[in-house]
Amino acid sequence: MTATIAATIRERVQHIETMPAIPAVFMPLLKMLGSSTEEVRVDEVVRLVSYDNTIAAQCLRVASSPLYGLAESPRSIKAAVIGLGLRRVETILLTCCLGQAFPTKKWGLDPLVFWKHSLGCAMVCRKFSEKLGADDGEKAYMAGLLHDIGFMVNCQVFSNEFFRAVERARGQGIPLYEAEQSTMGFTHCETGGALAEKWKLADDVVDVIACHHAVEQSQTAPGLVSLVHLADLLCRVRGLGYGYYERQKVDLISDSAWAILLQQHQELEGMDLVRFTFELDEAVEEIPGLVAAVFGSASA
Amino acid sequence: MTIVTQSVAAPLAPIKSSEPVDPVYRQIRDLVYQVSGIYKAEDKLYLLADGCARRMKPLGACTPREYWDHLTAQPNREAELRNLLNEITTGETCLFRSQPQLDALRKVILPEIAAEKTKQITKRLRIWSAGCSTGEESYTLAMNLLEEGESLLKGWTVEIVATDLNDRSVETAKAGIYGDYALRSTSDYFKRKYFTPVDEKKFQVRPEVKKLVTFNRLNLQDNSKMLFMKGMDIIFCCNVLIYFDGDSKSKVIKHFFANLNFGGYFFLGTSESLMKLNDQFHLVHFPGTIGYWKPSLGSGKL
Repeated sequence: MTATIAATIRERVQHIETMPAIPAVFMPLLKMLGSSTEEVRVDEVVRLVSYDNTIAAQCLRVASSPLYGLAESPRSIKAAVIGLGLRRVETILLTCCLGQAFPTKKWGLDPLVFWKHSLGCAMVCRKFSEKLGADDGEKAYMAGLLHDIGFMVNCQVFSNEFFRAVERARGQGIPLYEAEQSTMGFTHCETGGALAEKWKLADDVVDVIACHHAVEQSQTAPGLVSLVHLADLLCRVRGLGYGYYERQKVDLISDSAWAILLQQHQELEGMDLVRFTFELDEAVEEIPGLVAAVFGSASA
Repeated sequence: MTIVTQSVAAPLAPIKSSEPVDPVYRQIRDLVYQVSGIYKAEDKLYLLADGCARRMKPLGACTPREYWDHLTAQPNREAELRNLLNEITTGETCLFRSQPQLDALRKVILPEIAAEKTKQITKRLRIWSAGCSTGEESYTLAMNLLEEGESLLKGWTVEIVATDLNDRSVETAKAGIYGDYALRSTSDYFKRKYFTPVDEKKFQVRPEVKKLVTFNRLNLQDNSKMLFMKGMDIIFCCNVLIYFDGDSKSKVIKHFFANLNFGGYFFLGTSESLMKLNDQFHLVHFPGTIGYWKPSLGSGKL
């Protein structure tokens, strides 16, 4: 990427701020999620959620979906927070907020396809992280959810160029980031990275957004970046890609991300990847329902 | 390898997919996976439960827990597990059983193999349908390759070697006559193009499709014969190895690996896993399906 392109990206990303649809609770929520302290913030989360009716309703809808396994539908936000645990509620909220963060008019991608991929990746990241015995599944969830946020930037501020890239990717059956690179000269990793920095997301999440297609460039959180990279690939070969057939074979175990993850988690050595893939299909089947619950009204 | 009855699957369905499943079925699922490599996902557990129900009746087992004993503690447990495997794979045999496998074949693998063989003078593609049963898979492959005959495979010699242990299956396969049930996933396009009606309910595969396939009896555990199956580009062996014990499975898989050309692919059934039985193959994901790859010479991945 040349300096000129980098400057253009930065300049255009600045304008995202002026877009009307970012829910007011989004930024404070991100800030809370970014902080690592575990002090009790239930009341503050409840206050934030109740601030926005649409988000409160979505949050309850998601919390009562079978995916989250509450025996009864929570009657109040507070009940949902207590039933699900704070971290999980925060990620549900983030999911809901993100659905409102961008206007849906200028999508170069089918927004439902995009959300299915993002939520699918978030779920796979959480499951993968649990499988590895890592302690912060919700962090992995958040990283998965946000990893492709650069596509939203591209839709908003590089819409014509991005549209051409999507057309090329679809026509040739190649990965979208390759088509972005050859059509636009940069990818959603750069634009997403710029937005993530502007939003002051946690360093490791910025790293995921910027490096999930080039894990070896990761400086801050190579483990998390690798996890998201592999989860992203898994989603794309298990029906939660970008809505077209990618003509590729994916050899996860030979991927450099696998090697990086293996250094941190020896559990990976004995992992039955085929069985894990089959198990993921179970989780993945829940995604369309979840996407409908969160984004149904917004993107209809 | 197995005689798959082609009667219309009677949907006994005592358990609906929406009802909670007895946790014992998860134990049975894990046992089935350990022994056979067949994995029934959570949303398919009711199918496993149906299969168990059909076996419980003749055994007089009243609860899944009692049936679990038949599978694990009773002297006839090995035979019973086999019966159960038969139950849960019955009806899976039909033409066009796995579209994701066919997509991987035509959209990813054939272009790759064609590119690799571009410099060879005689362009030849050999596919082995191992444990071909009554020929559904073999003819499905043949039809799909014929579809590429004017493009990717123009000027190629294509051969599908189909083998099965069972003489009767081989004979049925050679006849190439199928009814509605076997053709339930076959599109009208393929039916019109590659089949001739025999009577109101039956269709026969056309000669140009048959020409591509040779059927033979072969025991996959016959080591000396397995040595002569060399030069394969792709091997399909779906729902066959599930009946083999671990050692025999490993042996057969070693033969498959040896018989494949470098850069060749091996496929199992769509819900079947090689587990940890072989570390020479590379596990590769294609959209919607999993395959095993024998790395190309010079790929540095051997």
